[in-house]
Amino acid sequence: MTSITQDDVLLILKMLDESAFDELRIETGDLKLLARKHGKGISLDEAVFEDKRPTPVLKIEPTLDAEKDLNLSTMKLTESKVEVQLAKPTLEPSAASQNLMPIKAPMLGTFYRAPKPGAPPYVEVGSMVNEDDPVCILEVMKLFNTVKAGIRGRIAQICADQGQMVEFQQILFLVEKISEEKESPKASPA
Amino acid sequence: MKRISCLLVANRSEIAVRIIRACRGLGIKTILAASEADRESLPAQMADQVVCIGPSPPAESYLKVGTIIMAAVGTGAEAVHPGYGFLAEQPELPETCARYGLVFVGPKAEQIRQMGDKIVARQMAESLGIPVIPGSGLIQNLGETITAAEKIGYPVLLKAAAGGGGRGMKIARQPEDLKIIFSEASAEAQAAFGDSRLYLERFIPTARHIEIQIMGDQYGNLVHLGERDCSLQRRYQKMLEEAPSPALSPELRTEMGKAALALARQIKYENAGTVEFILDPEEKKFYFLEMNTRIQVEHPVTEMITGIDLVKEQIRIASGQPLSFSQQDVKLKGHSVECRINAESPKKGFHPCPGRIELWNSPLGARIRVDTHCYKGYFVPPYYDSLLAKVVTWGQNRLEAIAQMQKALGDFLVSGVETTIPFHRFLLRSPAFIQGAIHTRWIEDILIKEFEENARNNLC
Repeated sequence: MTSITQDDVLLILKMLDESAFDELRIETGDLKLLARKHGKGISLDEAVFEDKRPTPVLKIEPTLDAEKDLNLSTMKLTESKVEVQLAKPTLEPSAASQNLMPIKAPMLGTFYRAPKPGAPPYVEVGSMVNEDDPVCILEVMKLFNTVKAGIRGRIAQICADQGQMVEFQQILFLVEKISEEKESPKASPA
Repeated sequence: MKRISCLLVANRSEIAVRIIRACRGLGIKTILAASEADRESLPAQMADQVVCIGPSPPAESYLKVGTIIMAAVGTGAEAVHPGYGFLAEQPELPETCARYGLVFVGPKAEQIRQMGDKIVARQMAESLGIPVIPGSGLIQNLGETITAAEKIGYPVLLKAAAGGGGRGMKIARQPEDLKIIFSEASAEAQAAFGDSRLYLERFIPTARHIEIQIMGDQYGNLVHLGERDCSLQRRYQKMLEEAPSPALSPELRTEMGKAALALARQIKYENAGTVEFILDPEEKKFYFLEMNTRIQVEHPVTEMITGIDLVKEQIRIASGQPLSFSQQDVKLKGHSVECRINAESPKKGFHPCPGRIELWNSPLGARIRVDTHCYKGYFVPPYYDSLLAKVVTWGQNRLEAIAQMQKALGDFLVSGVETTIPFHRFLLRSPAFIQGAIHTRWIEDILIKEFEENARNNLC
């Protein structure tokens, strides 16, 4: 994107208004735009890009039923105009990791691992995540939606490629659940 | 001219199947934008690729312009076909398509907007000398409504300015009725369309609903493909359509075709569209009703009598090709009837009946066409409209086409979900229908009562 016109801003605001999200943040070149519904004020510390945005609740299925759907995923990346066969994510959990849980895409959008180009990715394989930790961004027509882990554990696999369009409910990450007993002895079994 | 090699189908059910078939015929790759409920549907099985665009409720999937555009851009589609319903008549979709360099298979946003406002459309028709039903402009309050109704003459129909599909419409036979229905209609219009503006029209008791199919390209070529008679409706929802209309003389057909083209020409209309008229058969007069800026559910009957594939033509025109036929090439041959089979229970007030289809033996044979997305084992989801199939027949003449339909529906066996097939069979045997002596309120006023009585007698 080279520049943003007033029309673009109005369109962005309209899209935010009609979306399920309360807030959006855009950074492109020198421009930073923070927009928020319901007339909430913007404090100074929020002028820095950091993550306070609400994200959609992730539905975490106890099984990996969606695996078979992923086999359909043959997509084209438009930037290169070259047809790219998506590597089929290998989702068969090994015998040692029966407790893998998926983080699924809460919407269709373009998958970005980092908050902005050049920034370090939110997570890598091996990263520990809590429910509220951001794991990636899904872009829908220049609206950037942060996806939270929604689950506690260790990132075992990253199943989508940077800049790839992902479908609604496509598996983005597999998370190895950390058994609760180790952390807190009082936790009841899931 | 922009070559289309890959097209995103932004719809579901039988029309998605129809569009995929047309694309296959043109050598175009198809991508289906499917909600979660439709991932395993027949169009999803037929399309070259499926993209899941969101959860099952339409507001979270099929009605999201941004998501549809992302799905098209992200899969490398060059064009978007909206089908009917959902986003087909939302000007935001063609506008956004244009911003992203996508071809929208349909008219320009401005044309959708002009015809979408029923009052603007009506004024335009009037200015072109096309008769409109005597009616009022916008009415603000009950006093104005009563004055306007006196001028128009009772009975009158109170309608929503932003309306369509019969919602927000009410009949008043005397001033007392208006007192009751004015606030009801206003509230209903607000709830259904987010716009409470109303206007009045003369109500024609034995009216027929006649619509003219038109087709235009980017070079100003505009033709009409004759009419469809859609008078058999229940609550303004069409149940059976036929072409040509048994109530139209060749002179009236020519006149209505001319009127439809005059309106289309005024807005330089592109792609497929339908101009709807109310015909008063007793007075032999027709009145402009509205224009629909999309392919319609009942387009197959026109295809059957003209031999023209309207959906293929839509895609060709959108890619910048000129119309492949001229007005002289359009020859109406024989007669065609279409029955809309819905997952509804005719015995329970046409209550929708979603569920798993256990048996699906659809009719086969010469001169029978079935447009459907259903099959044995298919689950009819509860989130969408209840259309299961369109059975279309052709005959040398009207009686042959009806006889063929009676045979086709006699062979049509469905179980697991209730359907309107028994009602359609009853309708096809009715002497009034066979004689063509029906009107837009005939099903509701007469046939439903006969059907219910018949059902009771059979039970005893």
